[in-house]
Formats: sequence, structure tokens, C-alpha cells
Amino acid sequence: MKATALFLFLAVGLSAATIVEPPAPVRASVAAPAARPAPLPAFSAPVPPRTIVQDADTRRAAYLARVGEVLAWKAKLADIRFPVTFDASAVCAKLARREDPAVCSRRVIELMKNPGTGPFWMFPAVGMAYLGRDQLSPEAKAAIRAAWGSVMQVRGDTENHWAMYYTSLYLMAQLYPNEPGSSWYTGKSSEENLAEARDYLVHWMDITTTIGQGEFNPTGYITEYAIPMLFLATWARDPAMRIRGRMTLDWLFADLAANTLNGELRGSNARTVDASVVEHWRDHASFYSWLLFGNIPPNPSFGGFGVYFASAAANYELPEVIYRIAVDRDGDYVQRDLKRTRRRWRHSDVLAAPIYKTSYMRRNYAVGSYQGGVADPIQTHTWDVTWAVPDPRGVTNTMFSMHPVSSPYDLQTYFAESPDSMIPAMVAERKPTYDLPDKFLGSSRFERVFQDRDTVIALYDIPPGTRFPHINGFFSKFLSGVTQDKSGWIFARGGNAYLAYRPLAAYEWRPTPKGDRRLYSPHLKNGTIVQAADAGEFADLAAFGRAIAALRLAYSLEPVPTVSMRTLRGRDVVFTYGRTPVVDGVPVDYSKWKLYEGPYLNAEKGSRRLTITHGSLRRVLDFNTLTISDSVTSGR
Amino acid sequence: MAPPVRFLLALAAAFPAALANAAIPAHDMVVSVLAGPAFVVGTKSAFESGLFRRGPDGSFHHFGLDFPGTFGISVDPRDSRVFYVASLNGCLITRDGGLTWRIGTSWDMTEPQDVRVDPNSPDTVYIALPDGVAQSKDRGVTWTRRERGLPERGKYTQAIEIDRNRAGRVLAGCETGIYLTENAGRSWRRVLPTSETVTDIEQSPHDPRRWMAATQADGLVQSRDGGLTWRPVAGVPSAKCLYNVAFDPTNPRRIAVGSWTYGVLTTEDGGATWADRNAGLPAGHCVYRVGVDPDSGRLYAGVHQVSLYQSGDFGRTWTPDGLPQSRIYRFNFVPAAR
Repeated sequence: MKATALFLFLAVGLSAATIVEPPAPVRASVAAPAARPAPLPAFSAPVPPRTIVQDADTRRAAYLARVGEVLAWKAKLADIRFPVTFDASAVCAKLARREDPAVCSRRVIELMKNPGTGPFWMFPAVGMAYLGRDQLSPEAKAAIRAAWGSVMQVRGDTENHWAMYYTSLYLMAQLYPNEPGSSWYTGKSSEENLAEARDYLVHWMDITTTIGQGEFNPTGYITEYAIPMLFLATWARDPAMRIRGRMTLDWLFADLAANTLNGELRGSNARTVDASVVEHWRDHASFYSWLLFGNIPPNPSFGGFGVYFASAAANYELPEVIYRIAVDRDGDYVQRDLKRTRRRWRHSDVLAAPIYKTSYMRRNYAVGSYQGGVADPIQTHTWDVTWAVPDPRGVTNTMFSMHPVSSPYDLQTYFAESPDSMIPAMVAERKPTYDLPDKFLGSSRFERVFQDRDTVIALYDIPPGTRFPHINGFFSKFLSGVTQDKSGWIFARGGNAYLAYRPLAAYEWRPTPKGDRRLYSPHLKNGTIVQAADAGEFADLAAFGRAIAALRLAYSLEPVPTVSMRTLRGRDVVFTYGRTPVVDGVPVDYSKWKLYEGPYLNAEKGSRRLTITHGSLRRVLDFNTLTISDSVTSGR
Repeated sequence: MAPPVRFLLALAAAFPAALANAAIPAHDMVVSVLAGPAFVVGTKSAFESGLFRRGPDGSFHHFGLDFPGTFGISVDPRDSRVFYVASLNGCLITRDGGLTWRIGTSWDMTEPQDVRVDPNSPDTVYIALPDGVAQSKDRGVTWTRRERGLPERGKYTQAIEIDRNRAGRVLAGCETGIYLTENAGRSWRRVLPTSETVTDIEQSPHDPRRWMAATQADGLVQSRDGGLTWRPVAGVPSAKCLYNVAFDPTNPRRIAVGSWTYGVLTTEDGGATWADRNAGLPAGHCVYRVGVDPDSGRLYAGVHQVSLYQSGDFGRTWTPDGLPQSRIYRFNFVPAAR
């Protein structure tokens, strides 16, 4: 596509996308100097223009300017008189800017007097150690080193924990080679630590590039992979580990690019949180979209952890092919990916079950799902429809239903824990809604989902006696024209998308604390059908409603929920809870699901090889040979 | 006056120190504890967690690592300074009483729940893993999976116990039942199927052929033939999880069971009848662990995030006994430090 055509396409899109007028976005307050008002930080500033930056140098300069903004913002907040402002991320920001090394040294010594424990302490310490190699005082460097011998670091029990833990251990062992076990909290020598960390990281990359990432497309936890992989790509001396870090970053960001709608990460994902499951913008993924693609405001305070990424971000250059997937799409597309569940200790025939993920992306909305069941026991989001908005801040631009689960059985499946203390522990562990019936966060063993482009069918067969025997549907206050039709469908408009929601059992409306609505349906055998369409496809919402109501639809809930319908796109779908979906008479063959399959990302299962394509651009990440291959197709 | 007492008094007159030493317990109480509210990875707890040793004055003193995820403990019978600790990070090992530590396992063995030194061959150590069983034959330096005969799935292992009288016999409490090896882990066979996890296995200190196991959903079970066959113990409820079982080493007729739901259950007739012994414990029970002091017969109960409780009359009355706000994972009574 030529540049002029691209700009025209984009201009039409932007013009059409200005219908919704959201309430004033939530702004983070930042104290401004008295003398001259500073420019607003990006998370409070107007939405960046969604123009495609064609020139590579300009793109790179803009990226580095954003990196610089993050570092300058954090460095300016740091005041040595107020230790709370001068945390490890402030030290990293200042060291990355090469300013105040003496003050940083003092602060490092203070921070190291009471080391934290676990991966969230380790990677900031690594950042300070490496950024400060030629800036910190010998005493400060010695303080960091000593802390790695004095406090047993918690490895954690989660994929992101281990990515941070072992990358950090690897880099520190590399920084201090030939030191005995007595000087490390592990009791192992530098070489033993290095080898163990390397082995785990290679193992993790191997399973991620063969059967998929466990914590796939995380809205917040993306930062807990991006930071360690950037550190590895930047500071590993072993070229093999360095390129592994670099390739894994590309892999993560290609996945992010293909799953964002104007920078918003939407659709199914292994882990999100209560706020961002309905307001997708409000999480770290938005920081990365802003930093890398420049097409969305970052989340407040750059997500906090964003500062660590920024402190080494100059060492990463986003490949143009990934950039263009995020910002320069020339049509609707379906992307199918293979992921895996968190490892299951109990209650399962497999250690990690496959996740079959579908994403349908259009200019004005996107639909995403996986087949249901539990990918991760607490924070998985199974499916949604999300519509594009001019400014996503404060906007709950999504629709979905779910079964709220609070279950020791599910927790014991994934955690080495006893049954009775887990739920109180979850609530105490910053998952306060885990045991609440009105939550919108989480996945269920009793949900099955099928998606065909912009049609989603979610079926529920909840056993009697299950805690929270109902389903919750999320209805945003930003929907307009919500109509409960006599056909049983509920029609609404979200931005430039028309949405049809068909509950399969009786329901009632319940308010939510922030003014959205919950469709509460207290029926064990239940279901939801959602059909979306572009507003441009119909004269108005009423015409869309008539088209939907005219679709053939038959369903029953006994003995198990089953739906037979013709989708808006003319597909005949039969979907029965617990059985393979059938489309136009052909059963869906999940065994043929590839690791990635779509116009932009392609990989065979088990291949360790991802091909990233956009137009004439192609990048191949090959973990078999540890090679990155770029090519341009001629004649396109 | 019985002759032995007369003899002791005479001895005390002649050698006062001898009587004083006779009063010193043979064992130290060591507990693994998560102190304070639930631990969140990434946060810094204000509470010290890990191993605590009870001092002569009854107070608990933290020693070794301040670490929030310590579970099972086992001590080398030849050297009570050598501790193996099943932990979130793997098997932690100290050979100097807690001054220095090493994570004995690597990344491929995580979150062991239990650890046992083989009393018949103390260089051999077993750990119970969420995905099976591993064994070290060199005091924790190297580890090998020992899972032949365990199911490919269903081998989540919560508890492990070694027959102190017959070398090579080990019982593992798994998700799908109790498994027995009679050849030091080279092969296992299931001796009791269960519907959910076996939470604890114990061998009677009085009768080596008698074993008991607590389960999550199958009640309390016992074996009278060294773990070959098992039967449910009547009078103990089975609907909810039983967390552990503890024999009283001082009295063969006394056994205690700990449960979140049922609290403390005891028998004083060898298991024929059981009594609810929760009067004096906090409402709701939430007992995570029970233990019996091998020197005094004193019964202990760890009430989740409340306190340790102790009873001098085997559960009829209880008094708080320190470790406030704690979750006690294990009671261990190790040869006393001198």
C-alpha cells in the first residue's frame, strides 16, 4: 500500500472514530514547578496522533524521545530528602541519564541495608548494578553485591517470577564471576548460579516457542517479561543469551502488536486485573504500546515498572515489521494462536493444557477469545468484544460475560497449597475480588467458548452447589442505544461498532460501583451469544438489530447448553457444551492449530520459529539456530 | 517411695548436676513458620519467617534463614546441625545449624512440600514434589527423580515417610493415593487409592508396623502391616480435609489429628474412639498442624494466623503458647542442642 493511500485510510478511520464522547479521562496529578509549567507527562497529555511514522530515523528518534521522557519524569521526582521518591527505579532513571552518581551511590547504600526478597527486588537491583558499573561508588557497588549474599531471595511459583528471578541471577552471577557459594544467597558458586539460570531460561524459551507462553498476552505482567528480556539482551556477555533475550523481546512485542486495537491490549489473556479487564488501557501493556508504537497514552506513572524498561530501552530497536503490525493494518484479520495453561500440579491429565486463542481484528472493534476453561486460576480473561475509542483513558469499551469462580479445587490444581487457607490468602494477596460474586475477573472450568470472526458463543454448565452459581455480563456505561429487543437480543452501540448480546437464560440488571451495569443471570445452564459489526455496515442500530433478529437461531439448555445459528457472516455454527464446534458442517480441528497463524504472525507448533510479516517486510526469529533474519519481498 | 525415686534422690544428693541434667528435655522443638499475614511475592514482610527453635524458657527464637516458604523439615540423625528444609525455593540445606545454607536442588525441582532423611541410611534424603518424588544419596548434593510406578499424572506428593525399621521402605502421600517403595525408590506401587491428596503419613513410634495417614477427602486411614494395606479409621470425619496426624511418643494410646474444619481430634484408646478437643481454641479452629512433644507428651496445635496453642492434658484445655499470627507448617522435635 502506498503512503498516500495509507494516510487516506487512516484519515477516514480517525474521522469516523470521533462519535463517542467519553467522560473526562482520569488524569494523574503531577506537581508542576512554580516557575514554568512543564509539559504534561504522556499519560496525562492528549492522545498521541495515530499517524504512521514512515521514516525509520524519525521513528527511532520518537522512540528515544519517549524513553527520555520516562527517565526525565522519574528523575525529576526523585528527591533524596524524601526517600519514598528515590526508590530503585529513580536510581535507575538517574543512572541511565548519567546524573547524580554520588547521590545515587548514597541512596543505593541505604536501599541495600534492607534488601527485599524475590524477583521484584532482584531485577531493580540488577538494573542499578549494571547501569551503575561506571558511576556508582565502590561502596555502593559492594553494598549491592553483599545483598546478594545476605538475603535468601524467593524464587516464587509463577512463570513471570521465574523469568525475573533467573534473568537477575544470571546477570549478577555474570557480573561477579568466580565467587564461592558462601558469597551468594543460593550457597552456589557464580558458575553454578549462572548455569542454573541459563538452563531455566533456555527451557522457558523452548516451551514458549514450541507450545506457547503460559502467561499469554498479559495486560500487566507483560512488563515482568519485557524488563528481564531487555536486561538479558542488553547485558548478557554470552552472545547466545544476548540474542535469546533480543529474540524473546521481539516475540513478546510482535504478540502485543497483533493483539492491540489502537494500542489497547484486548481479547483473551492469561492474566489481567479487575481494573483493566474492563478498562483495557489501564495496565502496563499500554505503556509498551505507547513506548514502542506511539499510538496510545501510557498508563498512569508509566506503570511504575516502565521506568526500569526505559532505563535500558535505548538498547532495543523495535523492528519495523512489528511497528507496522501495530499501526498500519490494511484490513480485517483473524489471528489464531496456541498458548498453554499455567502448569497444573493436580486434577489434570496434562501438566499444561493447550489454549486455542482466536482474535478477529477490525478497524473499529476487535473480538478475542480462547476455548474456555481455566488458563490461570485467578486472573484469566476468556473473551471480549472491544471497540475503538479516541481516548481510552477511563473508558470501559468492552463487552463480555463470565462465570465468577472462587474455588479451592481450582486453586489446588495450580498451586501446591492446602484447600482451606487459599481463598483467604488470595484475598490478602492483592486479589481482593477473588471471592466476590460480582467480579468480572477470572475464568471458569464451566465455560466453553467458540468464536468465528465477530461471533462469540459462550456456554455455561455450572454444577449445582458451585459457589457463585450465576454468570455476569459486563455492560459498559459507554454503550449507547442499549435496547432489549423482544427477540431476546440486546442491541447497543459502542463507538463505531454495533453489538448484539443474546442471553440464553433469564437475567436482571445489577449496578456496578463505577456506573456500568452487570447482567446477572442466576442459571446454571446458561449462555451468551455476542455478534458485532461495523457501524458502517448498516444504516443504523435498528437495521443492525433487524438483521441480527432475522438470523436463524435455535438453542436449548438441557441436558447441556447448545446453540445452532447462522452468524451475521453467513456461517452455520453448531456449538454444544463439551463438544467440538461445527462450522458449516465441519468440526473444528484443534489438533491442527498452529503456534501462530494469521496474516502477520506464523509459526508451526513445536517449531521454535516465528515468522513476522507485514507487507513486504519479513522477520524470522529462529530459536533453533539463534538467528534473526530480515528480508524484504521485492515487487510488493 | 519407689526404689528408683529413692535412687534418684540419693544420686541428686551426691551429684546435683546429674539430676539437673535429667530434667533437660532430650529434644528441642523446631517449627517451620510463616509469620504474619499471607506472604506476597514481591513484598517485604515485617515478620520473620522460617525456622524457630524453642528455648529453655519456652520462648521461640528464629534461626537460619528469614524465609517465608519453609515447609517440611528433617534432621540428619547423626548430626543435629544438618537440616534439610522443603521450601518454596527447593530443598534448603544447612550443615552448621543454620549459619549457612545452600539450595540443594535446581530449577527443575520446585516447591517440595516434605523432606525426609532416611534413618537407615542417613546420606539418603527424599523430597515430596508437586510433580513427584526425588532422592539424593549424597546428603543433598545431587538429586534424582524416583518415580517409576508413580502415575504420570496424579503424583503430586504432599508427604513422605520412611520406615525406620526396614531399609528401603518409603511411603509417599500423593494426589491419587499412598504409594510404597520397598527398594529405596527404584519402583513404587499404590497401596491405597484416594480421591484427593494424602496430606500426611506417620509411622507409630511404638509399633513400626502401624502407620496412619491423613487425607484431604478420605478421612484418616491406618495400616497395621507396615503400610501394605489400609483401612479407614472409624469415628474420624472425612468430609473435609485432615491436615496431619501425630502419635504421642510417650503414650501408645494417644494420637491427635489436626484439621481446619474439625480442629483437634484425639484418641486416648489407641484409635477406638475419638474426641473433639477444641474447647479453649479460637472459634473456627483453623488448625493447620498438631504435634506431640516426645519428652513431655504435651500436645501442640498451630491455629492458622492466630497462635501456637499447647495442652498439657492432651487437648482438654489449651493455652496460647507464642508464635502469634503464624502459620505453622511443621513441628519437629530434634535431638537437643547442647
